[in-house]
Formats: sequence, structure tokens, C-alpha cells
Amino acid sequence: MGVVANFIRERIPVSGDQLRELTNEPVPNHLRRWWFCLGGTPAYLFVVQIVTGILLAFYYEPSPKAAYESVHYITDEAAFGWYLRSVHKWGATLMIAAVILHQMRVFFTGAYRKPRELNWMVGMCLLICTLVTGFTGYSLVYEQLSYWGATVGANITDTVPVIGVYLKKLMLGGEVYNERTLPRFFMLHAAVLPVSIVLLLGVHITLLRLQGVTEFQFEDEPEDGPKHFNFFPDHLYSELIIGLVLMILLSVLATVLPSTMGPKADPLTTPEVIKPEWFFYVTFRWLKLFSGTAAVLSMGFIAFTMFVWPFIDGLVRRWWPKSEFSVFAGIFAVIAIVGLTTWEALVKH
Amino acid sequence: MKLTTKKSIIGALGLLFLCSLVLVQWMEVARRSEEAGLKEPHITVPATSVACVNCHAQTTAGIIDHWKGSTHARKGVGCVECHQAQKEDADAFNHYGQLIATVVTPMDCGRCHQKEFKEFTLSHHSKAGNILASLDNFLAETVEGSRVNFNPHSPTPGMTPVVEKVNGMASAFSGCQQCHGSKVALKSSDGGAITLDDLKPGPDGKPTNADAVAKIAKDSNGKPILTANTWPNTGIGRINLDGSRGSCSACHSRHDFSPRRARQPENCGKCHLGPDHPQKEIYEESKHGVAFRDLKDKMNLDAEKWVLGKDYSQAPTCATCHMSGNMRNGGKVTHDPGERISWTNRPPVSVLMDTDKDHKIVNETDPEKRRALIADTWQDKRARMMDGCTTCHTSGYVNNFYRQYDDLVILYNEKFAKPGLSIMKSLRDNGMITKTEFDDKIEWTWFLLWHHEGRRARHGAAMMAPDYTHWHGMFEVAQRFYTEFLPEARELAAHSAKDGKAAQAKAVNDVIDAILARDEHKWFKEGAEGQTEMIRKAMQERYGTGGPVAKSEEKSEAKTEAEPKK
Repeated sequence: MGVVANFIRERIPVSGDQLRELTNEPVPNHLRRWWFCLGGTPAYLFVVQIVTGILLAFYYEPSPKAAYESVHYITDEAAFGWYLRSVHKWGATLMIAAVILHQMRVFFTGAYRKPRELNWMVGMCLLICTLVTGFTGYSLVYEQLSYWGATVGANITDTVPVIGVYLKKLMLGGEVYNERTLPRFFMLHAAVLPVSIVLLLGVHITLLRLQGVTEFQFEDEPEDGPKHFNFFPDHLYSELIIGLVLMILLSVLATVLPSTMGPKADPLTTPEVIKPEWFFYVTFRWLKLFSGTAAVLSMGFIAFTMFVWPFIDGLVRRWWPKSEFSVFAGIFAVIAIVGLTTWEALVKH
Repeated sequence: MKLTTKKSIIGALGLLFLCSLVLVQWMEVARRSEEAGLKEPHITVPATSVACVNCHAQTTAGIIDHWKGSTHARKGVGCVECHQAQKEDADAFNHYGQLIATVVTPMDCGRCHQKEFKEFTLSHHSKAGNILASLDNFLAETVEGSRVNFNPHSPTPGMTPVVEKVNGMASAFSGCQQCHGSKVALKSSDGGAITLDDLKPGPDGKPTNADAVAKIAKDSNGKPILTANTWPNTGIGRINLDGSRGSCSACHSRHDFSPRRARQPENCGKCHLGPDHPQKEIYEESKHGVAFRDLKDKMNLDAEKWVLGKDYSQAPTCATCHMSGNMRNGGKVTHDPGERISWTNRPPVSVLMDTDKDHKIVNETDPEKRRALIADTWQDKRARMMDGCTTCHTSGYVNNFYRQYDDLVILYNEKFAKPGLSIMKSLRDNGMITKTEFDDKIEWTWFLLWHHEGRRARHGAAMMAPDYTHWHGMFEVAQRFYTEFLPEARELAAHSAKDGKAAQAKAVNDVIDAILARDEHKWFKEGAEGQTEMIRKAMQERYGTGGPVAKSEEKSEAKTEAEPKK
């Protein structure tokens, strides 16, 4: 045993103490509360997506001629294919939900404030990457709604002033959806975006470790008690419990509500109702309310505002130090998002 | 939370997760066994049909057993979904709390299968009921039976109740209409029958004539009584009470509606067989049918889409060529077989299938007017058929096949059918036969010639069965034409002359003589001595002698041919 330990120690010159320090950072007490563990949830689901995604990619063929049939094969013939596809689909849904919840928690607790503004922006990039991954993944099935969803997405991109037309071309590999479009979506979905997410996550966690987690003092906690607890094993156990709950939830959803397939994409027949995935309902409804360039520009403005919110919040707080402006803005935003999503979900067109 | 508590929670959740994986494994195994046919598929009985299934499992177990094996059962489509009726429907009745109708029509199926309903409604299949009051039906209703019920001429020992009247239409009801479809009728309280002609259904299938509805006779349970003459019936052109035409169960037998069965030739063989249109037998004799019998197990007949070239390519069945999807047409299925048929070989003279916007054959002969009327050409139809052919054969091969087929049809049309028609017309015009069909011997002879033998020849060529084309077809056509039809026509003319109608007799004989003077009939009048040699020589001129051995044969044949001249 000693020989092996020495062999490893000589080649990886990290001492046990250093390793312990690296992995066992004291965790602030507030993280004992479950809702503060949401940051780890998307990362955990991301791993699930990577594993199931690799297995699905063994069978998936990214071409209009074969895509639908290959998904059909995965769903109906490949061993456990239906389970993997369903876990992947529900994993995506839960991951997006978890990212949004995590962001809301960070927002309402003001955890984005100085000196963590940049990490908030990295988080925003992660949110966008996650949404685009969801969009491209939905398009890969090549069923009617995914095809027309992608077409509508491309047309929306087209309305962006100046660069829209080029962005659309870049997205579709041509003026319209063609045989080069699906391989692009697949490369984005299975390579570019996951790698981007990994890199951004690396920056996100590094900044988190460098700056430490924002610490909160709750009223019911004794002021003179210990402020921290151990990452290992205490916090790790909490994360493990969340992970297991998520896996059970995914399994239940995959078996009770497995992924199905709609009719194959038909470029000549526009479906009566085109709906994107639920996480784009809010933007879809927004686009219907303010058609064309105005809607796209306003959405871009909202996204930009979200990006730089820590600085806006900083300015406001400099002028009115005790202002709860951010909280009210957040409540308004949440009501707007939930309202528009529900509205879109309830109406047929 | 204490660490030990967390550990316990992790243990419990881990166990739960393991259970969920076991459940997934169990589902996968169940799916596999279901696919392999080792296990009955999981069926869902909709709440509205639970009572029906429970009761009918005891009373009519076959129905339920079949239904349990259907895709409907797996997808939760129960009894009520198909049999449901509205109170306005003429045949609706309350059956243990559910308003239902016995007869499920294409309009009912169309509630879910809209595309299939539309295609089928445009098809010739759906119009098969138009045979009522046609030449074929005249045979069954009058010649074989009687349009008026008549008294039996002696008792039928043991028969109860005693036969008071012979049902003269029995042959039409049990024969013709079981394929072509009946006109579904409800018993009327005045002893008559109520059909859609009385009910006058609107576009939604609901009757518009309240007086007719009021006269519908009902049994003690309040159920409208369907007449035994018209129900049960699964004829493909059934004329239903709601105005829709046809019966989906003609091909998709109730109550399992198996696509597997509809894809097999035996399914079509219920009607497409026999002396007048032996498509089933012709298919069986063809290379296609032989391959199907041998390779049936590999035909993937249970596949969901069953696309030729993708799901199977061992052999085609009737459905493959006439209805199913293939690799080349993007898997497009049609419920209108006429979409792929370029000749109709049904009438005495075959006609090309140029159809108008209502899918009716265009009979206009003026080229300009004809072109204006055509909505779908016979070439379009052939191209659709060829999508299937060229999935397995090269286009050159298929084109040559069609050349062979066209040549045979045109040969039959020109040599026998058109001349036969003109002789029959001349006989009728000159009063040698009556306007009533089948009361003169020559009408039977002519009918057998085109309706039986002529169709056999044409269908044989259409589906590559040489024996049906030649021995059961053209040979018998020729035999019937030269040895029965022409002598009978001549005899009628001779009788007519004897009866003092010389001009009429001459007119008929002129028509016959003109026909026999044509090149293709000359042999019959002038003889064909030396014709074998003539043919051989012509072949040698066309194809060459085929080498030294043949050359020596040529010399000896030339010698033989020269000898008689001496």
C-alpha cells in the first residue's frame, strides 16, 4: 500500500493536507437550508445530461433524412432507449428550472453584489447557454413542432437589426432550413454548448471559491455559535440527498410520462399551432405582444439589463442605500415571467 | 440535521433509486417480451367501455378477444369510441346507458382517421355499391333469382318456420352485396324498409326526414331493427344510413382491425378471386406471389409503417403495390388504390385511367376537350405505381414490363373487344337480340368472353401470371370468339334471313365480314398454311440465325419450305 501511495505522491505532488483544504472548505451555516443548495442542482443535472446525451448520440443521426427515424429507433427499439431519452428530456426541463430557481435565489438574496458582479454575469451566460442547448436539443428530434419551432426561431433571429440576417444564415447554414441545419444544431447541442457550459462552470466555481459563498445571518441562529460547518462529509451528504431525490424524480417522470414522438417534420405543411418548449413561452408571448423588431430589441434590452443588474443595483444603492428597489424589480420580473408563461400555456394560438 | 440522520436518508433514497431502476428494467423486459410476442400487450380499457368489455367477454367473447389484440385496445380506444351515436342518428339506441349504433360507418372511423376516410371516399372501392341495378346485379337479382319473392313449389321438410315466400334476391344479398356492399336498411313499422333514400341524411350524417325516422321499427329494447337482407354486411361499397359509402372493416376486419392482415393477399382474396377477376390466383401464380409464400416470415408484417424498401423488400403483396408506402414515395400510403392504376380492365374494352377532378374516368375523345377535363392522367397514376416497382427493379425493366402489358391490353381491345362490341351492337340494332340482357344465348357467350376470359387475360398480364394471360385468358377469348361467338352471330343472321329480314341479316354479316377481312383475322377465313415457317423466317430476319448450328437448321428448314412449292 505504501509503495502505491508513494508512487502516486511522487507523481502528483499534493499533500493530504492541501487536498483536504482544497476539498473541505468551511461551508457557511446558511447552506444547511435546502433552498440554498440549488446552485449544485443544475450542475448535477448537467452531469446527467452529459451521460445520457453521450449514450443517445451513439444512435442519433443528425440529418433530415435519418434524424426522425433514429430518434424513433432510440424510443422504440434500442434497449433502454426510451428511458435514456425520457431522462434526457426531463433532465433538460429540470435543469432549466433549477438554473432559473438558483438565479432567483441569488437575485433575491442580493448575492450578486460587489465583488460578485462578474460571477453573476458568468451565471447569465450559463443561463443563456442552457436555454440555447434546450432549444437546439428540441430541434434535433425533427418532428413537426421541432422543425417549425426552429424555423420560427430563425425568423425571429432574422428580425434583429443589421446582424439578424447574418445570424440567421449562420444558424441555418443557408437562407432556409436545409440539410446543413440539423448537423449545425447537433454540433452546437452536443459539442459547442456543453464545452462552453463546462468552461463557464469552471470560471463560475473558481470565482465562487476565490470570493467565498455570500454569508447570511438568519434571525433564528445564535450569534455566538459556529458560523461554518464542514464541506465533507456534512454538505456533501446534503448534495448526495438532493442528487438521489433528483434521480428518483427523473426515473419516475421518465417511466410515468415517457417521451413520445409527434409526426415527422413536413416542410410543406405548417402545423396549425406552433409552440416552443415551455421555457420559451415567455419570449414567445412577448413576441406576439410586440411583433417584429420592436419585440426583439426590447428582449435584447431586457437581457442586457439582466446582465448588468449588479451595476444598476450598485448605483441605486449608492443613491438610496436602504432601498429595496431590486427586490421589487425582482418580484415584478417574476410575476411578468410567470404571467406570460401561463398566458402562453393557456391559449391555443 | 445530524450526520447520522443524513446517512439514513441517503440509504433510504439510494434504496428507492435502486427500486426505480429495477422498475425500469422490468418495463424494458416487458416491452421486449411484448415485441417478441411472448406476452400479451398491455391494454387500456377506457372507463366508458369497461362495462361493455366485462359483459361482452361473457356473451360474445370473440369480439372482446379480437379487440384485445388490436392497436385500438393498446391505445385506449374502446367500444364506445367507435359505436357512439347521437340521439338524432337513425340507428341510435340506448344500450345500458350508452347511446350507440350497431353499424360503424367510414364517417364514424373518420372521426379519428380523417385522411383515410377522405381518400377512401374518393376511391372506386367506396363506389362498389353502385353495382346495384347494374348488369352484374341483373344476373343475381333476375337471372339467378327473382326481383319478386315467389311461392315455394313444394315444402322444405324440417324447415321451421315454414317457407312461405322464396327470397328472390338471396343470391344478390349473399353474393354480390357481400363484396360490393348492401344498401343498409332499417325495418319500417309498415313492414317496408328504410334506407338513406328515405332518411335523406345531411352532410353530418343525421337524417333530415323526420317522417321516415318516425317510421323506424324498434325491438322490445328500443333498438332499431336492421333488415336481414342488408345486415350483416361488410361490402366495401356499402351504402350506409348516414350517407357515407363503404365499410372500413371490409379490409380491416373487426374487431382487431389488424394492419398485418390487411397487408396480406388473403384479405383482398375475399372478393378479388374467381372466374371473372382472379386477381388473387393471378398473384399467387406470379413471381411476386411465389416469393411472398416463401418469404412471408421475413416480411415484417407487424411493422408500424411497413414501407417497401425500408421495412421489407422480400416480395410485394396487393397492399404493397396498390396502397402502401415505399421508399421512393416517402412512405406515402393511400386508401384510394385507383391512384396507381393506369388501365381499367373492368369494362369490355379497357380504358386508360385519365380521371377528372371528381376522380371519374374521362370518356371524352376530342383531344383538346379531354385534356381540359383531366385532373390526374394515367401516366401520373402509372408513375405512382412505378415508385413501388422501381424500389426493387430497374426503371428499364419496369418500362419494358409496362410495354408488354400495354401491348396485351391493346391486342385484346383491338382484336376481340371492339369487334365483339360492334357485332353485339349490330345484332341489337337489327333486332336479332332483345334489349333484355341474358335472354339470348349469344349474350351469355359475349359476357363470358369479355367479363371472364377477357379480364383474366388482361389481369394476368397486369400482374405477371403467364398462364392466366394465355391459357385461361387469350386462348379462351379466341376460342369463344371464333368457335361460339361468330357462329352464333352468323346463325342469328341466317335465322333472320330465313324470317324474311334479308337486309338486317346482310347488315350483321357485313360487320362480321369486315372484321374477318382484317389482317389479324384473315387466317380464319383464308387459312394459315405455311404460317409457322413464315413466322420463323421473319424471326430469323429480325434476330439473326444464332450461330452455325442454327444456320444448318436454317438450310434444312429452307429446304423443307421449298419442297411444297415444287
